[in-house]
Amino acid sequence: MRISDNMRFDQVKDNLSKNRTEMSNHQNQAATQKRVTKPSDDPVAATRVLTQRMDLEGKKQYEKNLNYALSFLNFTDSTLEELTNQLVRAKELAISQANDPSSNKMSREVVATEIKQIYEQMVRIGNRKMGDRYIFGGYKTTVPPFSEKGNYKGDTGEMLINIDKGSFVAMNIPGSKIFLGEGLSGDGVSHSTTEQPKSLEELEALKADNQISPELKDKEELIRQKQQELPEAKLRGLASVYDKGEEVVIDKLGPAYHKGIDLFDSLKQLEISLMTDDKTGVQESLEVLDEAISQVVLSRSQIGARVMTLDTAKETLTQGKLQSKSTISSLEDADIYEVVSNINKTEETLKASLQTSGKLMTPSLMDFLR
Amino acid sequence: MSKIWSMMDIGKRAMQNSQTGLQTVSHNIANKSTEGYSRQRVNFQSNVPIGSGKTRIGTGAKASSVERINNEYLGKQIQKESKALGYSKARAETMARVEQVYNEQVNKGLNKHMAEFFNAFRELSNNPESLASRTLVKESGDFLARDFQRVDGQLTEIKNDIDYQITTVVAEVNAITEEIADLNEKIQKVQISGGLPNDERDRRDVLLKELSEKMNIKWAESESGSVTVTAGNSAVLVSGYSTRKLFTAPITGQGAKREGHLDIYYKPSKQGTPVNVTKQINSGAIGGLLETRDQTIMGLQNKLDKLAFGVQENVNRIHKEGYNRYNQKGVEFFKPLASEEDAAKKIKISEKIATDVGLVASGASPNSPGDNRIANIISSLQNRQMMENGTATFDDFYSTTVGEVGIMTNKANKAYESQDDVLKQLNNIRESISGVSLDEETAKMIEFQKSFDASARLIRAADEMMDTVLNLKRY
Repeated sequence: MRISDNMRFDQVKDNLSKNRTEMSNHQNQAATQKRVTKPSDDPVAATRVLTQRMDLEGKKQYEKNLNYALSFLNFTDSTLEELTNQLVRAKELAISQANDPSSNKMSREVVATEIKQIYEQMVRIGNRKMGDRYIFGGYKTTVPPFSEKGNYKGDTGEMLINIDKGSFVAMNIPGSKIFLGEGLSGDGVSHSTTEQPKSLEELEALKADNQISPELKDKEELIRQKQQELPEAKLRGLASVYDKGEEVVIDKLGPAYHKGIDLFDSLKQLEISLMTDDKTGVQESLEVLDEAISQVVLSRSQIGARVMTLDTAKETLTQGKLQSKSTISSLEDADIYEVVSNINKTEETLKASLQTSGKLMTPSLMDFLR
Repeated sequence: MSKIWSMMDIGKRAMQNSQTGLQTVSHNIANKSTEGYSRQRVNFQSNVPIGSGKTRIGTGAKASSVERINNEYLGKQIQKESKALGYSKARAETMARVEQVYNEQVNKGLNKHMAEFFNAFRELSNNPESLASRTLVKESGDFLARDFQRVDGQLTEIKNDIDYQITTVVAEVNAITEEIADLNEKIQKVQISGGLPNDERDRRDVLLKELSEKMNIKWAESESGSVTVTAGNSAVLVSGYSTRKLFTAPITGQGAKREGHLDIYYKPSKQGTPVNVTKQINSGAIGGLLETRDQTIMGLQNKLDKLAFGVQENVNRIHKEGYNRYNQKGVEFFKPLASEEDAAKKIKISEKIATDVGLVASGASPNSPGDNRIANIISSLQNRQMMENGTATFDDFYSTTVGEVGIMTNKANKAYESQDDVLKQLNNIRESISGVSLDEETAKMIEFQKSFDASARLIRAADEMMDTVLNLKRY
């Protein structure tokens, strides 16, 4: 083949520029530690990295949500512990006043004032705030959910927190469940019944499902009215405590509608019994208080279960984050050993090119003619 | 019959021939690095011998012509491949810029903003009462809208830049065609007088190659030696000594995205109406630029519009159903858009939200500051398949677009690289045939020098012989 001068120079130029380009690419990889610095370097990897990053962002947020929900639940738990303690104290007092040898009209009256204080403390517990939000008000978190008389002004809303793709956990238990024993499931546990709708359509469907028929609503209203009439302390001699007729109405609301204990009501009853020196009433209160304590304990166990779920979810999330990070790294990060060895290889090639180029460029026939 | 004079004459002409040879050698050496130069060679031919019978005596040699060593077919092939080179080069260069718009390997981009937008709604659902989390939602919505505008704006900027490039290239094309017409004239004149217009042809070949790099042309050479150059299918740019210019003008009345960009026109005659030849130009640099401008970027902008519209429409639909801090519902989060057209450019958060974050809705029921269901539904949008008839999430849709850009850029780069290699290969072959080799020229130089020496000696020998003859009488 005939080799012209331009060919020689072009060849040298091309080869050197090829080596230099390669060198610069490797150097770039070494400096950034990245194999993929723009989508065209590896379109498939770049797309996957993007998806993984989005996932990772999501997971970081889910972790924040989780931690928030955890602190909310823990706060609720300690508040309920306090509530239990108050109820236990009330029960202790009731026991001490339940029989004649250890108590009398005088002591009962004294204890009645303490019960009144417990009652007030319970209202305060019901109005406990975490940060700016009342924790027992359902969705109504900006107004105190309980009045001094123990009337509930909140609603039954459960705040659902997004803890993973499509997975939600209820953060609060509405005060009506714990304090008034309303809306409990058949087993008396305050199961979280709310489902997070993923779309407007689902929301509408859920709203329709949860819609209490007007007839039922009336009955609920009736109960509420009766309850409100009831706790007004009227001294009526030997107070017969429970209006059994009321329970009949509740039963009509259906088997799933379990009426638990109204804590305020039960304390009020106890107070009335004590004030009126109604020993039987106090004894009856004991049973009611037992039920009340177990109602609160059941709620606490519900919270404990949620905390456990969250703990597991947190672990999964941490693991998932790690997974995402390592996937991203394996997709876009440069293998540093490979890069360094490539740099060495290219360097050798470059040296060889330069050396041979020098040899190729200099001699021409001119140099040998004298 | 042989004569001493004739010997002298042969010698003289041989010296001239050697000089011609040496001059061509020096021309070759001088043009060693001239682009498109083909080495030249003097063709020597022996003169007609004299005498008759068996003694026909040679009368030396003459330089019959100086021709260029070149392969016409190879030249045509180079021109053809240049077209593809120009196209792939323009594609690779413009796509590299498009890619940067979508490059989130280093910078924060739409993907990240979208994640942050939906995360903001998750934050809101943690704490719907808080103004801070509402502000976060507003800010991230604003950033998202702005990033849509940024991507769209940068793409438009690239389109404008491409327009500018097209104008420049068209001007270059016009300059080239003028020079070709000029060369046509020179070549024709030289050829009519029987000469070989080597250098002019070399130059014209280079120009045709450059023209091919810029656009798809067709050309044919007439017997007289002039070429007719046609751009695309019908725009005759050079015919004989005359040229017709291409020019650019803004497009009107073709929909918002093409509006204002440049098309290429051609005037068939001085008075004729301009013909739009844009569609005929599908190769060369202009072809590549047009492809990126009218196909790639348009497609990407349409996709972006679709995404922006999708986000806007779905978020608004849900947001309108939610109750805000003031127990109202029906407020739109984004300013409602009527259609997909230019959605990415127009998307922004509604003025109401911008001025009062309390209007951000989070609850599904009134009078419930802690209700976070609507916020949850909006954040769930991220993982729901809302695009492409319910087959892709927003993220899927966007990352697929990024993947497509990556693949297109990758393909353009590869095509450019391989086309560059093809051309280098062809140029190598051409150089191998037409290129100047200093070794060769040095050898030739010595050869001609020696023959010059020898010829001179011949004349001296003839001179001495003549002396001998003239001195015959003296003795």
